[in-house]
Amino acid sequence: MRIYERSVLRTNLAVCLFALLCLLTRGLPAADHAGFDSMFQVHGFLTQAYVKTTENQFFGDSEDGSFDFRELGINASYRLTPRFMVAAQILSRRAGEMYDGSVDLDYAHIDYTLQTDEDTRLGFILGRSKNTFGFYNDTRDVAATRPGIFMPQAIYWDRVRNMVLASDGAQFYGETQFDDHLFELRLITGKTPIDENVEKSYINPALNSKMDNHGITLGGRLLYEWDGGRFRMALSNATLTLDATTNLFPPGDIEIEYWVASSQYNTGPWSLTLEYMYQPIDYEGFADMMDIADTTVDGYYIQANYRLDSDWELFTRYEESHYNKDDKNGEKSSPILGVPERSFFSELWTLGVLWEPTEQLMLRAEFSQVEGTIFLSNLENENPNETERYWNLFSLLVSYSF
Amino acid sequence: MKTAYFAFILGLSLCFCGAAQAVDLVINPDVTQEKLSRHTLRSIFSMRKTQWPDGRPIHVFVLGDKSDLHKRFTKQLLGLFPHQLRRAWNRQIYSGMGQAPIRVASEEEMQEQVANTPGAIGYLSKGHFNAYLRTISIEN
Repeated sequence: MRIYERSVLRTNLAVCLFALLCLLTRGLPAADHAGFDSMFQVHGFLTQAYVKTTENQFFGDSEDGSFDFRELGINASYRLTPRFMVAAQILSRRAGEMYDGSVDLDYAHIDYTLQTDEDTRLGFILGRSKNTFGFYNDTRDVAATRPGIFMPQAIYWDRVRNMVLASDGAQFYGETQFDDHLFELRLITGKTPIDENVEKSYINPALNSKMDNHGITLGGRLLYEWDGGRFRMALSNATLTLDATTNLFPPGDIEIEYWVASSQYNTGPWSLTLEYMYQPIDYEGFADMMDIADTTVDGYYIQANYRLDSDWELFTRYEESHYNKDDKNGEKSSPILGVPERSFFSELWTLGVLWEPTEQLMLRAEFSQVEGTIFLSNLENENPNETERYWNLFSLLVSYSF
Repeated sequence: MKTAYFAFILGLSLCFCGAAQAVDLVINPDVTQEKLSRHTLRSIFSMRKTQWPDGRPIHVFVLGDKSDLHKRFTKQLLGLFPHQLRRAWNRQIYSGMGQAPIRVASEEEMQEQVANTPGAIGYLSKGHFNAYLRTISIEN
């Protein structure tokens, strides 16, 4: 990614340093070693998926069967004191035409707890940190934490992944516990790196737009947990403005409000998750030529998981996304914006199975039946008139994490 | 019929014996804490809480996810499944917000590590603790 280029050298240096530290710890006596292990840690993951679609391109040339979905990450963290921690992760992500697998600095931050006692904790994080957004955004590239092979696209669009992925800035957090009730608030302020995926999604790719963050992104999440996570509920928001230029209109900006409401209930082997996204988009400037694109995007998914035993899990998910919440099948938007109706929505069913033979290894297989193409990337499907409305998606994934 | 009935009852009671096999929460003797609430215990084992009330670091020791003792511990003392606890760790490990507990291979290693690491907390089968460890009770 062009926005990260300068960080590559720095991250390479960091990896060497981590490796050296790992070697140094080998010589310590057992007791000290245990203590040190719980302060300095290195973790990582390797994920490879196979994607096959009957029509349309998703994560590579999937009509012919694609292996272009691969994620590699390694991180290190050092807890200098119980209240002060530094952590960094580098990530290489290949996702078809959307991400090319170049090495990015995923996060690099210091975390300082200002105040802590039996039931409360207050602190801040400085640097590049992952945005806590919905239940899954902050670890969306880690297969071991994802709710399936792909993120539910109704909430966590891969085509605009970078818009809310991480922030260069500050994050404030506070959590408090009353008996079985836990409240956590995170406030985020910083610059979010914008990339070509975002540019090609918010303005017709034919206009060859260029975008940059106008000022800082503000966001946050309020999370409530009952009984150690039996019930979880969250409200997340990110507010940002993108400055945009095109090859046709005068410059303008795009104001985006991104809201997600999340809830989850866990009981015995069952887990039920529902997340809803609401996103008003306002095009300003562009000599008013883009006003017709003003819209409110929405989407939701509902997922039920059943744990068969300690190694196996089944799930099913239904997702729906709409470009305009008042025009669910694209009938009205299609004649105005000149792309087929199917480009304005998606509805899909997914069935999946998860097998975790060891703590480190996970395998998944999934099948989805899809109507609509809204979450397909314009970078992978350049001509919206050549996509198909009805398509199926089959995928396999193997992931190793340590 | 009678045989089947008794076999069923016997099976059932065996199940209960299995489930009732208790777990002791153990700490390094230098930890001054006397009791822990269930939610504090969850915060510690989900790696959200990193220091004892006196400010010293907490070192958390666990057995593997597939170990029976670990399963009993998460179920009985935390009210969670091992895979749920692991997801909680993973969410923190891969977002840079927290760290993983230290994994030990056996109960013997658990005994040794908890006894030798100041600020350590772990768990053992009932009655397995020794003079170098202290058990800590959970208040409801």
